[in-house]
Amino acid sequence: MSMNDTLRDLKKINDKYQMFHAMTDDDDCGGASFLFSAKDNLTSKDMETCAGSRILEGYHPVFDATSIEKLRKIGGKLIGKTNMDEFGFGTFSTNSGFEIPRNPYDLDRACGGSSGGSACAASVIDDHISLGVSTGGSICCPASFCGVYGIAPTYGRVSRHGLIDYGNSLDKIGVLSQKASDLKKYIEVIAGRDERDPTSMVQPELKTAYRKMKSVAVPKEGIEGLSKEVDSAFRSALEDLKSMGVDVDYIDMPSLKYAMPAYYILATSEASTNLARYVGMRYGHQEGDHSLKFDDYFTAVRSKYFGDEAKRRILLGTYARMAGFGGRHYAKAREVRQVVINDYKNVLKDHDAVLAPTMPFTAPKFSDISKMSALDSYKADYLTIPANIAGTPHLSVPCGYDSDGMPVGMQFVADHWHEDVLFSIAEDWEKQFDLKRPEVSI
Amino acid sequence: MDVKTVQDVAKFAHLELTDEELETYCKDLGDILSYFELLNEAPGCDERGVNPIKVEDICREDEPKIEYDADELLRDMDTYERYVRGPRLS
Repeated sequence: MSMNDTLRDLKKINDKYQMFHAMTDDDDCGGASFLFSAKDNLTSKDMETCAGSRILEGYHPVFDATSIEKLRKIGGKLIGKTNMDEFGFGTFSTNSGFEIPRNPYDLDRACGGSSGGSACAASVIDDHISLGVSTGGSICCPASFCGVYGIAPTYGRVSRHGLIDYGNSLDKIGVLSQKASDLKKYIEVIAGRDERDPTSMVQPELKTAYRKMKSVAVPKEGIEGLSKEVDSAFRSALEDLKSMGVDVDYIDMPSLKYAMPAYYILATSEASTNLARYVGMRYGHQEGDHSLKFDDYFTAVRSKYFGDEAKRRILLGTYARMAGFGGRHYAKAREVRQVVINDYKNVLKDHDAVLAPTMPFTAPKFSDISKMSALDSYKADYLTIPANIAGTPHLSVPCGYDSDGMPVGMQFVADHWHEDVLFSIAEDWEKQFDLKRPEVSI
Repeated sequence: MDVKTVQDVAKFAHLELTDEELETYCKDLGDILSYFELLNEAPGCDERGVNPIKVEDICREDEPKIEYDADELLRDMDTYERYVRGPRLS
């Protein structure tokens, strides 16, 4: 299908899969050399940007996020902004103020979150790449559920300028695609120092030369609590890796189990301060009653337009920062982050990556998600959170399918700044893995 | 987590909760915070970085510049005579 054909059919495709919140009005690809989409928490000059939140409805940024700007500069055409959990708060992309993306392998199931629309677009559209953002697993989780490749590079590798923050010490911009080779190709474009994001200024040069993955460590804590079918697909994938010449060792990493609570303390603390700026002034909804005193005005707008999960995380983060509780848990969460980083570094002295399934189950049905408590949903992230809290680069590759045909993913975690070994294993894996594309009909 | 605490936190965070929301968040936050007691048994560490990588102070030149047109910035804002409009302070 040509790029113009894809654009022509975009609306019909979107009606079915709900991947885009906003789409380009320009149906002419002109001189574009490729099409891409971006998660809706990345600012874009020509399309509304809401980060999945109704409080930002009507916000039209005056600048492109650096990652979008760089892709446009090499000939990319931004065709849409993808649906997501509000501000990235979720595991299934169901916590949205707008449309909820549907899994291309089964429309009754979720795409994963929070970059669910991006994973859906990467899975459904031929020759397409989508920018995602990961705070606690929001690239690898949906990549796993939608059967595509997804990479979150080292924290600080890609400028966060133009990203609507969730957790500043955790957010990372990455790429999702059907093709493993796209990960290296486009991370190379969007990576680099940017004076508008100080955390990007310390990075060493991105290495892209081939570096064969020789050994992986599988933590016992990473293969507990799996569904039978994920467990089976993962064990089969380990045999495939061995046949590719990769040594597989089983290890203990007991600190991994503390990463989830530490993450939610840190992430919600940062989120609750970041979201303090949304008060019905400057952007988004601004139709509040100006006769109210400012506290009441802010409260009315925020209470009306923030969704359920946003309110929950604001409350949790605000409480975590309060005197007493904060001294006990926030400081401990920061210590746990460092313990997890140290443990990764120890293991990665002797191995190229730490490996586990990306998610403990395949994409659930919406009817099952609606029965999950908030804590159940948080617990589902236990495999993706450790790498995110550590800021280490991580990659999800499709590694099998369950009896319903739903994709299973596995996640490689490398040391800080060692994306090269992830690019290489993704391409090596792709050569021997039988990828089953979803049936896409318009 | 008791109702009074959730109400106090909500007020501090500029959120007004319905009775139904209050009941839900009391239970949810109670469950979540109970689970987070797991942190009490986690190993400690002398280091407590803010970012997962070491970030140095690298400053750009302090040169004045205007990157965006003021009118363009004000385009979607609720304004009065080119001032951003907001609620009264008292």
